[in-house]
Amino acid sequence: MVDMVPRMVGNDAERLAIRTRGLTKTYGEGAAEVRAVRGVDLEIEAGSFVVMLGPSGSGKTTLLNLIAGIEPPSAGEIRVDGVDLAGLDEEQRTRFRRNSVGLIFQFFNLIPTLTGSENVELIAELTGGGERASEMVGRVGLAERGDHFPAQLSGGEQQRIAVARALAGAPHLLLGDEPTGALDLDTGRKVLALLREVAVERDQTVVLVTHNAVIARMADRVLGMRDGRIVSDELNPEPVDADQLEW
Amino acid sequence: MPTSSSGRRIGVRVLRLKLRRDMRRQRSQFLAIGVTIFLGVVLFGASYDAYRNLDASYQRAFTEYRFANLTITGGDTGTIAAKARVADGVEAVEARTQADLPFQTGDTKLLGRVVGLPVAGQPAVNRVDVEAGDYLSPGRPDGVLVEQHTAEHFDLSPGDSLTVLDQSGAPHRVTSVGTAASVEYFWPARSRQQVITSPDDFGVLFAPEETARELAGVGGPNQVVVYYDGGRENAALTERLTRDAGRAGAADVMTRARQPSNSALQEDVSGFEELAIMFPLLFLTAAALATAVLMRRLVDAQRPTIGMLRAAGFSRGQLLRHYLGFGLVAGGLGGLVGGVVGLLLAGQVTDVYTGELSIPVTVTELRPATLVTGIAFGIVTGLIAAGLPAWGASKVPPAEAMRSFGPASGGSISLFERILPPLKRLPARWRMTLRSFGRNRRRTFSTALGVVLALVLILVSWGMVDTVQTLVNQQFDEIERQDAELYYQAAIGPADLDAVRGTDGVARAEPALNAEVTLSAGGRRYQTSLVGLRRDTQMHEFLLAGGGTTTLPAQGLLTGEALDSELGVSVGDTVRVTAPGAGSGREETVRDFVSEPLGTLAYTALDNAAPFAPAAGAEGNANSALVRFEPGADRDEMRRRLSSLPGVAAYEDSQAIKTAVDQYLGLFYAFVGVMLVFGGAMAFALIFNSMSSSISERRVEMATLRASGAPAPMLARLVRAENLINVAIGIVPGLIVGYAAAAGFMASFGSDQFNFDLQMRGSTLVLSAVAIVIVALISQIPGLRALRRINVATIIRERSG
Ligand SMILES: Nc1ncnc2c1ncn2[C@@H]1O[C@H](COP(=O)(O)OP(=O)(O)O)[C@@H](O)[C@H]1O
Ligand SMILES: [Mg+2]
Repeated sequence: MVDMVPRMVGNDAERLAIRTRGLTKTYGEGAAEVRAVRGVDLEIEAGSFVVMLGPSGSGKTTLLNLIAGIEPPSAGEIRVDGVDLAGLDEEQRTRFRRNSVGLIFQFFNLIPTLTGSENVELIAELTGGGERASEMVGRVGLAERGDHFPAQLSGGEQQRIAVARALAGAPHLLLGDEPTGALDLDTGRKVLALLREVAVERDQTVVLVTHNAVIARMADRVLGMRDGRIVSDELNPEPVDADQLEW
Repeated sequence: MPTSSSGRRIGVRVLRLKLRRDMRRQRSQFLAIGVTIFLGVVLFGASYDAYRNLDASYQRAFTEYRFANLTITGGDTGTIAAKARVADGVEAVEARTQADLPFQTGDTKLLGRVVGLPVAGQPAVNRVDVEAGDYLSPGRPDGVLVEQHTAEHFDLSPGDSLTVLDQSGAPHRVTSVGTAASVEYFWPARSRQQVITSPDDFGVLFAPEETARELAGVGGPNQVVVYYDGGRENAALTERLTRDAGRAGAADVMTRARQPSNSALQEDVSGFEELAIMFPLLFLTAAALATAVLMRRLVDAQRPTIGMLRAAGFSRGQLLRHYLGFGLVAGGLGGLVGGVVGLLLAGQVTDVYTGELSIPVTVTELRPATLVTGIAFGIVTGLIAAGLPAWGASKVPPAEAMRSFGPASGGSISLFERILPPLKRLPARWRMTLRSFGRNRRRTFSTALGVVLALVLILVSWGMVDTVQTLVNQQFDEIERQDAELYYQAAIGPADLDAVRGTDGVARAEPALNAEVTLSAGGRRYQTSLVGLRRDTQMHEFLLAGGGTTTLPAQGLLTGEALDSELGVSVGDTVRVTAPGAGSGREETVRDFVSEPLGTLAYTALDNAAPFAPAAGAEGNANSALVRFEPGADRDEMRRRLSSLPGVAAYEDSQAIKTAVDQYLGLFYAFVGVMLVFGGAMAFALIFNSMSSSISERRVEMATLRASGAPAPMLARLVRAENLINVAIGIVPGLIVGYAAAAGFMASFGSDQFNFDLQMRGSTLVLSAVAIVIVALISQIPGLRALRRINVATIIRERSG
């Protein structure tokens, strides 16, 4: 396990992977209006490993989706990986996601008709790096099982494939929404350890969303969310190895 | 417990609410199914009832105009009529004169027919419907009724006059007193050999019986028509009268079923009946497929809900009924609306049909039974289609409720990749596309089957038109090589042929003989025309039934292949050929069967035809001249020039029949157009539903790909390709099955009148396939639009809490 060096904290804008100002997302109108994210100001340095913690409905997924460029904000500024997302149209956001973001989902969301490796290839091809796929599959330790279909893989293996897929486009940013939510303790730990390892190797920024406080112990920084706002922001000087997490 | 039963009722009410909401959510898909069922039931109602209406119209016309059950030509008509009059089961007998005589109207000389009618009033058998002017009267021996097709074509009104050539060729002026429709000529067929005629070549005049005899040059009637009690068929009576007629020397005995006009129309009506069953069945099958696909998808998507409902205490029966409800509603609504619309359309279709054929009697009835059957068809289709998925739903174990998502379905390498390993090197997204077919085989199959059904519908209708057109072209271009035929009043002499050859624009002329004969063998008789031609004729191509061509033998006959079934003779057998006034006739050997689309004729070498020739010492034994024009000759001008040659009684332009057929086919093209639209609608509904189902099954995958940066146009391309491949999978079998169905359908029309083996043009197959591809592209538009609009954030949130 690579020893984690705490990130330098500073205001160097060049080192900022994510920067938001008054970021707001509302759904619906009038009486049905839901303010999922309410004026979030946030700066995340490149290369850091951040966990966003909050109860269900607090707006974590919404914020993550805004960072990923999946949804446009209703108001406020958002700059991710050097790109001003607020001003982009759907097509530009698609290009942004393709080039800058790797996504990991709770239920893996693999294509059932493609083998593990092919799932990775599919995304790698989007950025023209089809040959990277087998390297990534090897990196997540599934070189042997890569030509199995998702239904033949365990949950942990599927999520490893999902990690490889997230890496396939060589993004600067890895975003995970409850990535261990569907895994048992041991498997979840292994996936998290893998995520941390690969991110460090590639100097990638990781933002994980979870309602599981235990996971926060492995992060460099922990953001607390409630009612669409960031209510706490703590640096973790001594992140725990994922292997050591207990829940 | 009282609460249990009220809880049950509330449960049912809530399920009903769920049914309504589910249907609303999938309204386009249910609409597509409802529309397909609707179209199927409309087609059934409209065509089946139209068929019944037509049948009823004909039956009513038969009794109203007392259509002869038996027509006996030749022999001792006095004896025949007397015997028929006293026979049990005979209601009326009429003895009359009928003669094929040329007549002239304006510049047109045509081979006509004069039929005698009593001047005192309508005959007891084969009455006519006077549409304009008046019936014949005793004071007007030169007054005639002009048959409606002739009157319409030449625009003949009461008061207009025509010239009829009598048996000896002498002209007689007659005047039209009115226009008449005749049950014998609803379809203007000259004979079973010439079912398709052009009004320029064939026309009928109804003349006072005395006048008819005078023109025909006979002393008494030459034909007896018999009407049975109530017009009902009576096989025993027919047999007895036929025997009596034979003893009295009759040349031909024709039943109502064999009467040329009637039998042509009956073929048509029975074709109608076949289509009235077959086409709706195609639709209902398609609707059932679409319903099954949609329901399957719905049940799959609702498994957790179903598990929850089961866990909450709903019985399997309740869930079964709940999901059957979808089929019931779609089928019931489609069936009801379709039944009513079909009912209304049936009357219209009948009117168009009888109007187009100028049939004076149109019976349109509202038949509740058809309506009920249509609705039942709709409901049964819906229930059968929903049945299997509903059954599957009722078997979902309550434990499914505990699983928030189903197990990932297994993937496998596609058949394509296994057959063609290089495909494995395709980009992953194309491999994904190829594998989608194996993922939901039922849906792949259903889409392909939908294409097959649509192609059957299209090809059967189009094949019919193609066949008629191709065979008519074959008959008049390939087999009959002349541009025109000139009929002479008597035998033709060398001077006549020279005159023809000397006419401007004539490239070639040959003598020919046309004689009405009766062929008999083994106690069976068949009336037809004997055609005499030069052995080296360039005016006729003899296509052998077994393929290849032949030339006229020095002795013996070539005959149409239907003689086999008509007389039970084979090649090498002999038949007796008799003609009125040619004594007991002559034995001839059938040398070969020729394959000709229209009619069943007998051909012999002109040199061999002396006994049947009109007069001795003619040029060969000929009574007509076959003419070929120089390229570019003006056909109207040629008609005028050649008609005016001395001795020419009638002129027949080969192209005129083709033109007549083309006009008649216009109606059929409209029919094909309608079937194309229907087939397209059917394919649309199926492809649309398969596609919607396929997209909704993969929403999460699509959203994931979009989230990962896959551009929407790329996904659209993949989905479009997938659908087109699926459609293509259906096209080849569809063309094969459609062709076979069309061939089977056409084969059901074969008789001595027509020999309509399926002739389908390559372009028809290509265009049908193209039409399906276009429909496939159009039917994707809604699905692709939905795909482009999918809310990535919402969908991935659904699955990631
Ligand atoms: N598309 C939407 N329309 C309306 N409300 C939404 C939509 N998506 C999310 N919300 C609401 O926004 C709030 C935050 O949701 P979410 O970001 O999913 O929270 P979390 O991920 O923390 O559980 C919730 O109240 C949710 O109901
Ligand atoms: Mg969430």
